[in-house]
Amino acid sequence: MYKYESDSDNFMDEDDEFVDYSEEEHDFTDSEFAMDDENSDDNDTEDAGIAHDDRPRRYAETQATQPTQTQNTFSADAGDFEDDFYGIDGAEFEPVISSRGAKRPWEVDFKVYDPDELQAKQEAIVARMEPVLATSRDATTLLLRSYLWKDEPLVEDYLTDPERTLTKAGVAVDQTRPCIQSGDSAFECKICFSEGSDEEYFAPSCGHRYCTTCYKTYLVGHVLGGASWRIKCPTPKCNMLVGEEGARLLLAGDEESLARYNTNLTRSFVNDRDSFVWCPAPNCKYAIECHVPRSALRTTVPSVACICGNQFCFGCQLSDHMPAPCHLASRWLEKCRDDSETSSWIKVNTKECTKCKSTIEKNGGCNHMTCRECRYEFCWVCMGPWSEHGQHFYNCNRFNEESSKEARDSVSETRAQLERYIHYFTRYNNHEQSAKLARKLLATTEKNMEQLQRELTLSWIEVQFLSDAVDVLSICRSTLKWTYVLAFYMKPDNQMIIFENNQSDLEMATEQLNDLVENPTNHGAIEDIKRKIIDKTTYVKSRWETLLSDTTLGLQENRWQFVD
Amino acid sequence: MALKRINKELKDFQRDPPSSCSAGPVADDLFHWQATIIGPSESPYQGGVFFLSIHFPTDYPFKPPKVSFTTPIYHPNINSNGSICLDILKDQWSPALTISKVLLSICSILTDPNPEDPLVPEIAHLYKTDRSRYNQTAKEWTAKYGGMFSNS
Repeated sequence: MYKYESDSDNFMDEDDEFVDYSEEEHDFTDSEFAMDDENSDDNDTEDAGIAHDDRPRRYAETQATQPTQTQNTFSADAGDFEDDFYGIDGAEFEPVISSRGAKRPWEVDFKVYDPDELQAKQEAIVARMEPVLATSRDATTLLLRSYLWKDEPLVEDYLTDPERTLTKAGVAVDQTRPCIQSGDSAFECKICFSEGSDEEYFAPSCGHRYCTTCYKTYLVGHVLGGASWRIKCPTPKCNMLVGEEGARLLLAGDEESLARYNTNLTRSFVNDRDSFVWCPAPNCKYAIECHVPRSALRTTVPSVACICGNQFCFGCQLSDHMPAPCHLASRWLEKCRDDSETSSWIKVNTKECTKCKSTIEKNGGCNHMTCRECRYEFCWVCMGPWSEHGQHFYNCNRFNEESSKEARDSVSETRAQLERYIHYFTRYNNHEQSAKLARKLLATTEKNMEQLQRELTLSWIEVQFLSDAVDVLSICRSTLKWTYVLAFYMKPDNQMIIFENNQSDLEMATEQLNDLVENPTNHGAIEDIKRKIIDKTTYVKSRWETLLSDTTLGLQENRWQFVD
Repeated sequence: MALKRINKELKDFQRDPPSSCSAGPVADDLFHWQATIIGPSESPYQGGVFFLSIHFPTDYPFKPPKVSFTTPIYHPNINSNGSICLDILKDQWSPALTISKVLLSICSILTDPNPEDPLVPEIAHLYKTDRSRYNQTAKEWTAKYGGMFSNS
């Protein structure tokens, strides 16, 4: 059914890989939304309407992506970002989507690593730096680690003053190799006070010798506590580090501690570097490399997808919050945590003193209010000054009086802000809830697909349009959710109106698609529904792309002013 | 291992005790010691005798001993429970350190408190802003709680 002009050997593998992905609903930014591809005339004859050429493109694009799973990398153009952010291995960072030449504006380059690849990467960097610094492998590794793998400052410092650089990093200047020895009758271990020539001792390059048992116990204690290369010589005030060579010598035979030591080393490699993060999903072993610097986070939303299926923001490790930038997203989440419940309650149950704006709850008594903060007396009903109410007149009918109006206007501004927040919050929350429902919808959709297959004797691939539609729905919900956050912090102007138009177009289309998918039987015969859903899915996709491209560019151009 | 090392430390301590300190097991249990420190002469703790209790963990010396004052003392780095905020008793512990070195370090924070890393912020604040009042209070506490031998 599918025609492939080239490279068809790879196709099956790629296909399997992507089936895995789409079940997780995560990768479709890459696999589904391809618009620009020379294979677009490779039509799928079964699919009617504008969506008909979607799937072939998808596979064509898949072919262009990485052949191996771990190097699954989307999109291109890290060149947008500061060059100096590229670390020592910047040249090696070759996310393959760059070569596909189809980067969409909101995508960022990244690469996923499993622990073995991380270890290989460390070794590769060390191997490259070893001849540059002309130090031992152990010393090179320690130097790199203590410079947090930043090669340029390291080389500069080292060439200026090698001794100082080594000492500062905790590496012995005299690079004698650590060894385990015995036979020195003058030896006494300062930890267990064993002495004599029978004692086997560990002699590191700093010269502080301790018996092997004590040194190993000391090392294992630190390794189990999570430490790796930062373990110092046990001698107080000695800043020399226990290098990898020494540690492996001591831990030889103790597989458990060695494994832990290796894990700790890899962990610190990722944690020490700005261009790496661990995937925050529970029990996920992968790390992601991405070269979006901290300074670009106000204008870029580096959304990345791990092999485990988790899609998250590289900048803050929250789950994907495109198109809102990190600082707005975290501000919003914090505000929601603090405010949402409280604000709604305040809105319903309280009023503000017209003088000092204190929030007041009326929990009983008459309408004659005296503000506890400023002692201002007013009427709870009309909010006007109490002085204008009669002494014994506890029934207010003065709504239209001038002074009451003024009083109400003065509080209305702060109230308006609160109402504005609630407006955005309800919409944000609505999309969040709908996204959760969309996941349930996926389950029912799968059943529907099976049913369709049976009833109409369609092939599996022919009923994929339903799950495609649900995938699109779910990503659009997520995007829509965060557009409300962006809008909440935007200062109103013409650009904001354009943004809101884009937003409402996408929202409307999304809701229509949702309705089609959820209640397919309301919309006519099966062929008809299929065509409608496919049409709508394509339309929603293109709206989604428009919105994301536009916001990405807008953020980069500083098109919008944000509230501080 | 721990026992052997503690025994060795005890012998060394008895052979060459540091000035103004003493220490030894409370009873038969070598893992529980009592120590005394005589208030350093150039400090408001002068004239006081301060008791400390020392508990050795079973994995000593790879884990630090637990040392605390049993005599109340007015000091920015020592709280009302007698707990001591001292780096070498926490993350800066090294198995090559000994009780004798720990006690000397405690003597040195009596002379030179570290108000930048306080356990009792109020005392640290007073130490930094009104040294004479701090000295006065510390002296009063020393006379009241730490002077039991010199008074009796």
